[in-house]
Amino acid sequence: MAVSTRRLQKELTEIKTNGTPVGIKLLQADNFESWFLSIEVLGDTLYQGEVFALKFRFDSQYPISAPAVQFVVDDYYKAPVHPHVYSNGHICASILGSEGWSPVLSVISVCITLQSMLAFAKERKRPPDNDGYVIRARAPENPKKTRFVYHDDEV
Amino acid sequence: MAEPHVPTIDDLRVKLCYICREEEFHDKPAEPTVQWVHPCNCTLVAHESCLLTWIQSAQQDTKRSANALKCPQCGAAYELESDNPLALRILNSINSVLQLSGKAITIAGTACLLLSFGFGVYIVCTSYGAYALQEFIGKEMYDILLTDDPSNWPYHAFINLPLIPISLICSRTRFFESFPLVPLFIAWTTSPPVSTTESLMRATWNPQPSVAQSYPFAPMFNWPPSPLMASVLFPLISGLYRRYFSRFRHWVMGTQPTPSPPVRRIVWDFNEGGPGQIRVGINAAMEDAPNNQQRQQQQPRLDGENAAPPPEGEEQQDGQGGDPAAVAEQTIRVTSGSLGRFVGGALLIPAISNFMGTLLFRLSKYSTLLRRFLAIRPARASPPADYFAAWFDKHPIGQVNPIKQMGLGLRMVMNVIFGGTKVFAESDPVWWRNYVGLGMFVLGKDCLTLLHLYLTKREIETRRIKSRTFAGVDIHELDLINPPASADTQA
Repeated sequence: MAVSTRRLQKELTEIKTNGTPVGIKLLQADNFESWFLSIEVLGDTLYQGEVFALKFRFDSQYPISAPAVQFVVDDYYKAPVHPHVYSNGHICASILGSEGWSPVLSVISVCITLQSMLAFAKERKRPPDNDGYVIRARAPENPKKTRFVYHDDEV
Repeated sequence: MAEPHVPTIDDLRVKLCYICREEEFHDKPAEPTVQWVHPCNCTLVAHESCLLTWIQSAQQDTKRSANALKCPQCGAAYELESDNPLALRILNSINSVLQLSGKAITIAGTACLLLSFGFGVYIVCTSYGAYALQEFIGKEMYDILLTDDPSNWPYHAFINLPLIPISLICSRTRFFESFPLVPLFIAWTTSPPVSTTESLMRATWNPQPSVAQSYPFAPMFNWPPSPLMASVLFPLISGLYRRYFSRFRHWVMGTQPTPSPPVRRIVWDFNEGGPGQIRVGINAAMEDAPNNQQRQQQQPRLDGENAAPPPEGEEQQDGQGGDPAAVAEQTIRVTSGSLGRFVGGALLIPAISNFMGTLLFRLSKYSTLLRRFLAIRPARASPPADYFAAWFDKHPIGQVNPIKQMGLGLRMVMNVIFGGTKVFAESDPVWWRNYVGLGMFVLGKDCLTLLHLYLTKREIETRRIKSRTFAGVDIHELDLINPPASADTQA
């Protein structure tokens, strides 16, 4: 059994026994390759009442290697309008990059980090280079293949 | 008093690996036993193997390696112990030294390669320069001034000769309004004969004191002009020539000269010769479109100016292609065929001038006037010695008073400029007939190009499309003025 499977098995068991934190729900975890979770920001924030879905993709090296995490953009879910979230759902957050990731993090802790990223947003707008990244099709399918330049250290 | 017991990893009831999230209870040790570590200052613990995997993976990535040996939670540095004997450290340092020297070798190798390439180019350029010089000044002068043996060459030969091909090519671009043969001449006209063993022996055994004595006071102006004079006057002559030939060209082509920005001129120049007909073709095609077709067809080029001058028409008069199509055509041409033609043509100049000079020499046998104009002399019996040296030997300059010294020096400089050095003045001026021959060649070539351009223009102007009869077409399908009789009567 791959290391990633055992670790994800543990995380899944923990979620099922202890439940998820407020505002985070497990939507789908049928296999150990991709999971879907929903997050919403509770309280008085810019994203009040909005629900977003996150897609996690794991390779066999997880948790040594970071999971690929992005917001789901489909008919039902949209990516939050946030300075670090591109309209295709890709997220520019240092913890998801190879420099910021560490095995101490987990699916739930990533969700909590992103939840707080949205909660502390000061304005609803796309990253300044959104058009260049998304529309001109420079974005790879997997956000891990993008070398983000982190705009600030808040996330 | 005994120190209070500080708990260690072994005192934990449940150990949870922060990497793989496996747990181990103290009362249910794993089978087989797994090593646990508590590497930092916080509560995180991990399997040693998990942590080592993480550290190893993080160290492979240069961006992550800074964080590899740090606790992600408390930031404490991990202390890594390993079997790192002296031998390994030595091998590691040897490896890094080798790595470094490998880099150095790569750099040195590249430098060597570039250097030898540059040297090769230099050699090729220099040999071409020597060849060009021999072609231009003739074998006799070449043997006096340069010889085939590079060890005899004066120091400036090693700068001048490689510059010859470069200057020949540059002179064609018209960036430099210079005579292509300036490096051939400016230095060589004042160059003393090389002192080969042979010439030294001749000078010793066969001194020519009478010539040496008279030399600095030779007549100031003589025919042919000195090589130095010729090269100095060249820009003037070529400028005048270009100006008048351009007027002539406009007269032949029925166009009017327009002042043009200098940058465009290069394009035109790259274009020299071949693309002429294409240019004319483009003009005709473009200007056929407007309503005044009849006149346009008669005079596709003139029309541009007669009408309230459209700017692109004006520019095209000079063949400098204002329209993108023409420019594209030109640009493409510069990259492929014309480049070879351009460079090759430039490098052929010495051979051409030699050929033309020889032709003139042959022709001079039938004309005294031509012979005098070309100042043909019989070939020298022996190479001259260094007259300057001989003269100075006879008149030690230190013994003359300073004013006289200065006057003498000035006189000698003037002599070199107007009369050329004795070496040139006394030799058969092969260079002069080559010079004249080259001029004639350029004139001839320009005239031929112009003729080509003119005939092409004529061809386009006189184009008519041949009209045919309706043979083979069903006559009943045509709407004719006099309709044919009905079908059955025809049949």
